[in-house]
Order: sequence, then structure tokens, then C-alpha cells
Amino acid sequence: MKGSYELFEHTADIGIRAIAPTLQGLVEAAGEGLYAVIGELLPAGDPRESLIEAEADSPAVLLRDYLGELLLTFERDGRIVTSVSALELGDEKLKASVQTERLDKARSRLHHEIKAVTYHELDLRETEEGFEATIIVDI
Amino acid sequence: MPEAYTGPLERIDDSRWRVPKSYKPEMRVDGIIYADDVLIKSIKRDKSPEQVANVACLPGIVGSSLAMPDIHWGYGFCIGGVAATDPEEGGVISPGGVGYDINCGVRLIHTNMAADRVRKKIDQLVEALFNTVPCGVGRGGVFKFNRRELDRIMEQGSKFVVQEKGLGWNSDIETTEAEGCLPGARPDFVSQRAYERGKDQCGTLGSGNHFLEVQVVEEVYDDNAASVLGLEKGHIALMIHSGSRALGYQVCDDAIKELRNVPRKYGIELPDRQLVCAPIRSPEGEKYLGAMRAAANFAWANRQIMTHLARKVFGEVFGTPAEQLGMHMIYDVAHNIAKMEYHEVGGKRREVCVHRKGATRAFPPGHLDLPPRYRSIGQPVLVPGDMGRASYVLVGQQNSMDETFGSCCHGAGRLMSRTAAIKAAKGRSIKKELLQSGVVARARGRTGLDEEQPDAYKDVGEVVNAVHNSGISRRVAKLRPIGVIKG
Repeated sequence: MKGSYELFEHTADIGIRAIAPTLQGLVEAAGEGLYAVIGELLPAGDPRESLIEAEADSPAVLLRDYLGELLLTFERDGRIVTSVSALELGDEKLKASVQTERLDKARSRLHHEIKAVTYHELDLRETEEGFEATIIVDI
Repeated sequence: MPEAYTGPLERIDDSRWRVPKSYKPEMRVDGIIYADDVLIKSIKRDKSPEQVANVACLPGIVGSSLAMPDIHWGYGFCIGGVAATDPEEGGVISPGGVGYDINCGVRLIHTNMAADRVRKKIDQLVEALFNTVPCGVGRGGVFKFNRRELDRIMEQGSKFVVQEKGLGWNSDIETTEAEGCLPGARPDFVSQRAYERGKDQCGTLGSGNHFLEVQVVEEVYDDNAASVLGLEKGHIALMIHSGSRALGYQVCDDAIKELRNVPRKYGIELPDRQLVCAPIRSPEGEKYLGAMRAAANFAWANRQIMTHLARKVFGEVFGTPAEQLGMHMIYDVAHNIAKMEYHEVGGKRREVCVHRKGATRAFPPGHLDLPPRYRSIGQPVLVPGDMGRASYVLVGQQNSMDETFGSCCHGAGRLMSRTAAIKAAKGRSIKKELLQSGVVARARGRTGLDEEQPDAYKDVGEVVNAVHNSGISRRVAKLRPIGVIKG
């Protein structure tokens, strides 16, 4: 089930609020929000499956770690996650099977360099409609 | 609107305010904020004084938890914060007290050219700088370094790129804080992911508030100090503001992650989890310190390479070698760093770990860590402002050693969020407005100039007045930008 995200202002930085009926949708939407902060990122094919794993003491921190992996994959490999095919997100472990594609450098437009996904006001909660997460990135 | 501070603030005198130790039972020392009656009003509008109080709770903190007049809200520690911890008293090191951009800093390069000569070619100069100094998201550096070379950059900082690679002058090393190299760096403590994020970025400006500016010395307040520094009214200088790029961001991110459970291990209670820390004398503390120093050295090499590129551009544009244009470096200062330094605390000389997050070292005249040529005037303190107004050069004064662990302010601080700045720029051309006020600007990103427009920042002049009046630094000169490169 697809989720959505919105970006909100936060002093010198930018916040991402993601909502989705399922945890998988939430993780996907938060990832899209992260990419939207960086710019207008377009895939250029060359799909590959990969596994992202994290261990932490709460689902919110696990989501933060997952987004940190997306940032690394973007910067190091020039690749972006285009879909999450399976997700296990417990209290202390995250396991996400994702599909990545090469970034289309020619057509993409980059606006911000994200220094880090922070812990400030970091939140992941269950709502009546599903799940909601708040993440602030340092620009 | 950010949440306002509602805790106690006691006026000590015209330039200092106290957050008393009695505010929270966990506070080990007072908080002291350097601000005048006008600045304190805007400081209270966010929770940064609360963060000063939180830092005062850290184990081993000595003196006071300090904040400079450019204090504003940051992650865990406020920006503009200074805290010294004593390893003999269980003092801690906290990555949040340094920030994500380790050794973000500023350097100022002299020229012997009058403004008129440069203004005639300012379009060509800005264009050439923009095309030569890599800037913006995802731009790699001109010079590529293999893993072995990067390890040496992280160990030796400026020295490696100047002496082994020929990217600079030997005098650049002398005029860089700590001679561009923190001893005790441990590249082996820098993670593979930090290395991978930063490996192509040594010698790149980045984006956000980083910049390269061609500036004109508009005002000289202290003739003697200005003459020692080589600053002459109406002459041109070059300012570079950047840090350790993604390598440093990742070192900080890794440390915060690795230290998540460490305070509990050592029985440390924290008022904010973003203050994660470890005793300086612990394997975890030593690991962060070693990696942080490696990133700091990377940052000095980064600014050094951009200096080399900028000198090359000046030489080409003016048809005269940079040496003949008098392009020696005036100084390079870090404003996000933690360093072991000797200070007098409670009448005793002690080695303490000084965290400066958005704060500049400001050693007074006579200090032995200063290059001999500056010992008579004090350490140059470089305070960048926004791209439409001004930046300042100050020199450290004795009060900084007596009161602030040899520290001073670092800049202006934002007034508007990035989104608000973009909204405020709608229907306007910031580039044209800057041009009308005599500033030629080029930016890589679509929203860069809008987000960084002058109105988005506080007036740095007010911050500089406050530190000047408090006697921690003395105003020497004001520089106004005429050419700006942004990421």
C-alpha cells in the first residue's frame, strides 16, 4: 500500500513527514522524501536487488539507519532505491529487500547535499490510518 | 516558529548572561551566554539556552557551559557553544559538541590588488573560479587520491598536500590553526563508509552555507593589527568556507551510532540523547577522537587544495603569478572541532578537551601556539557574514583565555528557514539584486542563492560588536563581498 510524504521547514534544515497504511509503505515514502530533499532524482535502469539491514533499539532509529543507507548508496554508488519488495521491521531489527537503479545524472537535478539523517524529533508511530514517521535531515 | 526558552537568564553585565546551575539539579556548572541586551531577545526565541543548560550536565565539564553571541539551536549542543571537559575528572568527548561538519572552517587569503583592478575583471574572475573550484552536490575533486594517500591526508592534513603534492606554499602551513594537522589522528578508526563517501571530495566546496568569496577590505578599525595581517583598505582578499565534506559527516554519524549505548555503560545520565558521549579516557572516546582528528586534517587539506586552485585562477585571469599578486594566506581557523588544550581552571593549569561547535579559537597576543608573526597582535579570528553584507577579521584578546577557553564567535546564524527563504525569493532574482548591490554571484544549485540570500541571515555586525565589547576579541577589519561562488 502506497504512502505519501511531505517536507517541512526546520530552522536551517529540512524535515520529512511520511504516512502510509503499512510499514512497508512508510519506509518507501520516507525514502522518497529523502530523495526529494536531495533533488529531482530520476532512475536510468540497470535494476539490482539488494538487502538493507540494521539493528537499533527502536523502530524510529531503524528507519533513520535505513535512510542513512539510502544516502550512502546514492553518494557512493550513484544508485537510488526504486521499490521495497519485502520488509521486516521489528523493535530492534530491520531487513529490507530493495530494488535499486542507476541514477540518471544527466536528467536529475540536485538541490541539497544531506550531511546526515539526524535523531532530532525522530519519531515513528502507529495511527488510526496506519503509520506516521518524522525525520529531520541536516543540510 | 521554534519553541522559546522559558528558563532562567540572569544579566551579569552588558555582555554576559547566566543560566544558573540551580536551574537543573543535573547541571554541574553555570551556563554563560555572551550577548548584549538586543541579541539576547532573539536568542531566547529558540531553545538554545536550554541546550547550554543541558551541556552543563556533561561529566567532567569545567568552568562554565559557554555560548557565543551567534548562539542558535543545534543538534544536542547549540551552535555557538563552547565546553571544556577535564579527562582527570571523568570528562567526556561528545560528537554533538563538534557537529556533523568536522573542522568546518574559514580561511582568508591576501592579495596586493586594489579593488578597481579586480572589479574590471570580476565577471571573468567569478566565472573562472566557479568553473575551476568544484562546488555543488555530487561534484568530485580535481585531484584524485588513492587510499594510501587519503590515509596520509588524514594523518598529516595540509602538510601532505603542500609538501608532497605541491598544492600550496610552505607559509600556508604556518598560518593554519594547529599548522593544519591535529596530532593523534587515526585514519584506521575512520569507517569504510566514511572513506567511500569522502574519497572523491578532497578539494571541493560542497553546498549549503559553504562559499568562496572575493572580498574588498571596506573598513579598517585597528591600523596596527591590519598592517601586521597585511589588510589594506580598498584591497582585495579571498575567503573560503568549507569543511571535511561527507567524510566528516559520516565520521560524526558513525560515532553517534556507536556511542548510542555507551553513556549507559559508564553510568552517564543525559538530558538529551543527542549529547551522546564517552569518557575521553575510554576506548570509545579515544576511537571518536582519533577519527575526528583524521576528518579535521582532511578538512584542512580540502581548504588547502581549493586555495591552490583559486591562486591558479587569479594568476590566469590577471596574467601574473599568484606570488606576485601577494596571495599569501592570512589565516585558517576551524569552527567545529574538539581539541586538547592547556587552560587555567580554578587557578590550576590543566589539559582539557575544548569542544567548539560553531565557535572559533581566539588566542590572545603572546600565546605560544600562534605563528611568531602574529604573536604581537593575537590570533586572527575570521567571522564570515552573509553574501550581501560583510565578513569581519578580529584578533583574540586576553579575556578569551580568562573566560571562554580561548574562544570567540564564528558567524551570523540563520534568521529564516530554507523554505521561508525560498518563499521570500519568489518572483525576485536574488542574483540580480546582489548584482545591483555590487556582488557578482554564481551558484550550482537551482535554489542555492535563494536559500542563502542575505535576508536569511542575522546581521553579523551585531554579533561582532558583542564579542568586541566583551573583550574576548578585537575588531580589526570589515570585508565586503564583490564576487561569490556557492554550491
